[in-house]
Amino acid sequence: MGHSIPVGTQLGVGVGERTAARADATSIPWTIWCMVAGIASGMVGGLWDISWHMSIGRDTFWTPAHIAIQMTGVLVGIACGYLILNATFGGESTERDTSVEIWGFRGPLGAFIAVWGCVAMLTSAPFDNWWHNAYGLDVKIVSPPHTLLSLGSFAIKVGALALIAGLMNRGSEALRGRLMWLFAYVGATAVAQMGLILTQATWPVYLHSASCYLAVAIAIPPVLVGTAWGAPSKWACTRVAGIYTAILLGAEWILPLFPAEPKLGPVYQHVTHFIPLRFPLLFIVPAVVLDLLWNQRGEWKRWRLAAVTGAAFVVSFVVVQWPFASFLMSPAARNRIFGMAYFGYFDPAGYLYDPYAFVASEKTRVTFWLTMACAVLAAMVTSRLGLAWGDWMRRMRR
Amino acid sequence: MRLRVMGVLTLVLCAVATVDAHVGSPDVYFEGDAGPYRLFVTVRVPQVIPGVAEIRVRSGKGDVRTMQFVSMRLSGPGSNLPPTPDLAQQSKDDPQFFTGSLWLMESGALRVRIQVDGAKGKGEVSVPVPSFAQRTLTMDKPLKLILGLLMLFLAVGMVFIAGAAVREGNLKPGETPAPARKRRAKMVMAITAVVVLGILYLGRAWWGAEAGNYERGVNFFKPPAAEATLENGNRLVIRARDQDKEWSKQVKMEEVIPDHNHLMHLFLIRVPGMDRLLHLHPERIAGGAFAMDLPAISAGTYQIFADVVDKAGFPWTLVGEVNLPQIEGKPLAGDDASWSGSPLTKPAEEASAFLLPDGGRIIWQRASGPLQANTATNFTFRVETKDGKPAQDLELYMGMAGHAEFVRSDMKVFAHVHPAGSVAMAALELAQSGMLEAPPTISDGMAMGAMSPEVSFPYGFPLPGDYRIFVQIKRAGQIETGVFDARVQ
Repeated sequence: MGHSIPVGTQLGVGVGERTAARADATSIPWTIWCMVAGIASGMVGGLWDISWHMSIGRDTFWTPAHIAIQMTGVLVGIACGYLILNATFGGESTERDTSVEIWGFRGPLGAFIAVWGCVAMLTSAPFDNWWHNAYGLDVKIVSPPHTLLSLGSFAIKVGALALIAGLMNRGSEALRGRLMWLFAYVGATAVAQMGLILTQATWPVYLHSASCYLAVAIAIPPVLVGTAWGAPSKWACTRVAGIYTAILLGAEWILPLFPAEPKLGPVYQHVTHFIPLRFPLLFIVPAVVLDLLWNQRGEWKRWRLAAVTGAAFVVSFVVVQWPFASFLMSPAARNRIFGMAYFGYFDPAGYLYDPYAFVASEKTRVTFWLTMACAVLAAMVTSRLGLAWGDWMRRMRR
Repeated sequence: MRLRVMGVLTLVLCAVATVDAHVGSPDVYFEGDAGPYRLFVTVRVPQVIPGVAEIRVRSGKGDVRTMQFVSMRLSGPGSNLPPTPDLAQQSKDDPQFFTGSLWLMESGALRVRIQVDGAKGKGEVSVPVPSFAQRTLTMDKPLKLILGLLMLFLAVGMVFIAGAAVREGNLKPGETPAPARKRRAKMVMAITAVVVLGILYLGRAWWGAEAGNYERGVNFFKPPAAEATLENGNRLVIRARDQDKEWSKQVKMEEVIPDHNHLMHLFLIRVPGMDRLLHLHPERIAGGAFAMDLPAISAGTYQIFADVVDKAGFPWTLVGEVNLPQIEGKPLAGDDASWSGSPLTKPAEEASAFLLPDGGRIIWQRASGPLQANTATNFTFRVETKDGKPAQDLELYMGMAGHAEFVRSDMKVFAHVHPAGSVAMAALELAQSGMLEAPPTISDGMAMGAMSPEVSFPYGFPLPGDYRIFVQIKRAGQIETGVFDARVQ
């Protein structure tokens, strides 16, 4: 049993239509590669930059990590700029026929969304610079200018997903199969981005707090469910979560191979190499559960499906992450594999707090279970949003 | 002024004046030895934290080859592990002058460690630096306009993208949108516009909350109020009143540490003319208050500056005002001192010599030309006997060759400076702990044997204006106060 819409058949897409719009295309356009390369550059740059701030501290506009992030805007700007200018001023009617119009310009909808993301990223730069001058250098991930940057980066991913979805929905089977991996990859980077935003809420010491799972339930299902549901594959969710896990594991295992030492003080931890973020959250398990569920009950009405999806996501995630968190706190996790001995130079772990003791955000048992119930309810609502987004991408043709 | 009855007669005479943090003089001036090298250090503390401090160092001789800076916490965790040091730049025109910049990442008691290498080997000294945010920056109009336009573009762009997505996003290639689809697109655009406005509103609220948090951080480091109460006619009791809710939780008067022999250095300056000065040392009493029986004092309104150092080594100046009646009081004792004389005129009448009661003089050896704000200067004073010879009877006054108070006419600037500079001596002692070598000599005057008749104070006026400088020394067991007025441009 497949999804409600059989895998490989997109909503309302007919064979004749694909033929009309370059259905015979079998190669992935360079613009897609360019966008995916930009997103990969941004992902690498983002993880590198966070590690840079944890290990070295001081940076400039021209650090390699920053350049990698800025390359996202450059590569995506080139690709989308070409798509829009070509569809607006080019002679090919095919490009115009598969485009939307905004302010007199024509182009794929995904290109417009991605350009919006580039402008948001561009806007965040002077805003962030002013923020530093007004309130001091903010060394936290979530601040208004950083959120604008993150929003821009996320919009680029949404644009890329829409662009790939449109191509998949118009393309041949062979092309769709290949694009599927790019689609899952971009979806995984979107999940990773949400995971980065949740860094503080999901720090290991909070993994036995219900508020941590509430934060995950709000932020992750829209992206994980959305990108997986929008992909024409039986195991899309597993693919997305698997690539997310591989990206973060790669960062955790590769970054410490390179030397680094703090250039800012005060220094609380002796640092000799790049410090990565923590072991990835175990989204892979709920992802497998969701794929199994959708393959069995994908035809359910959306709200019913969302309710079961949300509950299944939270329950399966808590069931594996809770005991795994206990393991992470144990001495057995303080190694290169699980990374629990890594601390940023500015982290007063061991001085001002015990990094291996859970912090209880909820003071009473009642508060804990109420928060957990809220997490399940939130996951149901956000899963519905994810399903809606996925459906939208399944219908995307321009 | 308000009245309160406490026991026999208690007069609460407090009208708190709010002035800038650390009473308007945030930069650090220091003179001391890094091993065999004499250094004059200026640390210009950034306006926002985290921010970049400017560091300028002049070496006493031209035998310094390289100099490195690093910032660390003054005490506790974070005070032992240095980051990679920054290499100071040596001036090509003036090889004795070194400059550099250093990120101060935290508010609180920090230190800048200076490592020197030169012809006499290596040397090291740590300069305590109180790190705190002083202000918030408003956005200038051009940037406001640019960001406003970009935000408008993003907001409107999002609405039109949503409209295009509904109108054409899932149309078959080449198909034109039907009127119903266009109507639906307009509806979605309207809903998106409302959502975008909601996002902008929430974003603005978040921005406001972040700015509020930052403002609380700025307020935290503003001078706490000195609440003064006169009991039994001559007993002055001073309590710290927090300017911020968190302050009294984190800074406890019960835990302040001794700073050159005393827990509190209290300065009472009669306003507006600064024609009376009392430098007193109240004792701590129950509840973290400080109290002492006042010496003879003339009636009037007195500005209060009360210096304490918290347990982390951060210096605080409690600021307030008190109206005092004529008090006969007890005789001055110990390290307490007082002075009375003519008021500060406007503009200040500058003079480089001050006549002492015994006919001796204190001579301000100032350079020619007007005094400039924000210029590091070694204020040097020579003490002469009544027959014009260098005084040979100077003694240590609270362990140092002298003390100087720099006060601006409007009380917006107050700095209690020593031969080692504007750093608190208690913080300086904490800063040197953990160093590889013995603590440096912080004052020529601390050397054993006959003391020099000259005493100097490294400092820089932070703002233009009229200032009065009180120079306090000890001669033959007697504390003397010399007063000099200065116009600063």
